[in-house]
Amino acid sequence: MITLLLAVVSVLLGTAAWGDPSYTTIIMNIRLPRMLAALILGGALSVSGYLLQVFFANPIAGPFVLGISSGAKLVTALAFIVLMSGGFHLSSLELVIASFIGASIVTFAVLMISRRTRRMSVLVLAGVMIGYICAALTDFLITFADDQDIVNLHNWSMGSFSGMSMQNVGIAALLTLIAMAGSMILSKPIGAYLTGEEYARSVGVNIPLFRFLLILVSSLLSATVTAFAGPISFVGVAVPHLMRRFFKTSKPQTMIPSCFLGGAAFCLLSDLLARLLFAPTELSISSVTAVLGAPVVIVVLMGRAGRAHE
Amino acid sequence: MNKEGEKRDIAVRLSTAMVAGNLNTVHPETDEKPIIKSMDAVIGYNGKPVVSGMNFEIKEGEIVALIGENGSGKSTLIKTMIKEIPLISGSIEADGRDIRKLSAQDIARFMAIVMTGNIRPDYFTCYDMIASGRYPYTDGLGRLKDKDRETIEEAMSLTGTEGLSDKYVIDISDGQRQLVMLARAIAQEPRLLILDEPTSFLDIRHKLLFSEAVKKLVNDRHISVLMSMHELDIVRDISDRVVALKDGKMDRIGGTSEVLSVTYIKELFRL
Repeated sequence: MITLLLAVVSVLLGTAAWGDPSYTTIIMNIRLPRMLAALILGGALSVSGYLLQVFFANPIAGPFVLGISSGAKLVTALAFIVLMSGGFHLSSLELVIASFIGASIVTFAVLMISRRTRRMSVLVLAGVMIGYICAALTDFLITFADDQDIVNLHNWSMGSFSGMSMQNVGIAALLTLIAMAGSMILSKPIGAYLTGEEYARSVGVNIPLFRFLLILVSSLLSATVTAFAGPISFVGVAVPHLMRRFFKTSKPQTMIPSCFLGGAAFCLLSDLLARLLFAPTELSISSVTAVLGAPVVIVVLMGRAGRAHE
Repeated sequence: MNKEGEKRDIAVRLSTAMVAGNLNTVHPETDEKPIIKSMDAVIGYNGKPVVSGMNFEIKEGEIVALIGENGSGKSTLIKTMIKEIPLISGSIEADGRDIRKLSAQDIARFMAIVMTGNIRPDYFTCYDMIASGRYPYTDGLGRLKDKDRETIEEAMSLTGTEGLSDKYVIDISDGQRQLVMLARAIAQEPRLLILDEPTSFLDIRHKLLFSEAVKKLVNDRHISVLMSMHELDIVRDISDRVVALKDGKMDRIGGTSEVLSVTYIKELFRL
């Protein structure tokens, strides 16, 4: 339906990136994979954020805000450095696995914290702190690792869609496709879960199984993104919120596809800005998404707080 | 109905409710088979009993009220019935089948709930909220068929929530929201409706609208209701039987007027 509009928007943004340079090789080997990466991973990131928001019944949850991206980054960097110094080379899939382990560890930690508090500000603050710890440890690792790939690793740890090969894009697309199928299958129980855990149980949702699957799919999505593009901030929080506002619904059957398309458009735009704004110097993608996305979080917080006092 | 007429109507209903309370209306005994039968049930959290030796029945078309102090086990019983927490020992049968052996879907088609709490998802219309009661009947993608839409509309007219259809759950009053949650439970087409202090935070008008909708539902559809409640006037007004919980046991069970005697209420609530 209206999501088609967004698809058109994202395609248009794609062609903007596409029509810009004039060398075919550059387009095919650098620009195209980069554009596809922004598209796929941006979509994956927003859906992952949406699933986390459902899970924590918290409108400002997201893989970056809760520290999940940073956890994935830490374990991936660790795997990178340890295996590299041992002379091994990491395949993309192994990178994703490392990233997935990191994402899962942090998700579990955040889960434990969420059991102890119902206040979303505390949860988010704890997530941000975990994120800082993981980022600091990653920096530490990078500083003391002497490897030729250190520059690469540094770029990646800042978050970037550059340097993607077509093969990596393929793997990312496959993983994202699997996770998207999973989240669409979960859309019926997600809809019930939005009415609250007890009401969801009362209509027949198997709550423990559902929560497990939800976290599994969400972690897979954020792990895929982090493995290929590093941690990218605020997309996962901002896009689902914008989509909810735009479509005036929280129905998962609408939200999941529109988050994907919206996230794709958001990341394409951000990547474009990162590349063009101060060309030839590139900004890290996270600085752009943060500037665009963080204000949205502030708006949500203020809107929510206002409503809670009604 | 215009505002004035509505006000007058409520005033009339209020006074009838009060009179009904004083008259100690005797409800006709139904001699139908029980749809819920509890035998020596022990309920509680993490294996620690809160109430033991629970023996009671809920018959078809009957409203049973659960009363007792905070912490007396009303919510514990309700959580056990909806299988949020496991039964410690004894048994509870729904329609002759042990609830422990029923699947989540069987339970969902058998009973629906309305809780006290304030559910406020963002950008969620009342229609969608009521439609979520169709969950146990819809296909894997949760698509609504004509039959589902009919059921939802019936539920809305029973509760007088037709006008709220397109409003967001977050934008309506607490009282309206509980009526929507009731409509949602009705759309689930349960045989037993479980209400956990559903009227606690409502103003008097919505307390009345809510309890009248419940009463009407029972008359129209012959379903049964188990409700925990602190408002004894509503209990007196609509329930057929009362179960009183105190000091870890079922202290008293019987007809509404019998249990709600002034002396017993004073004793039960230590007034």
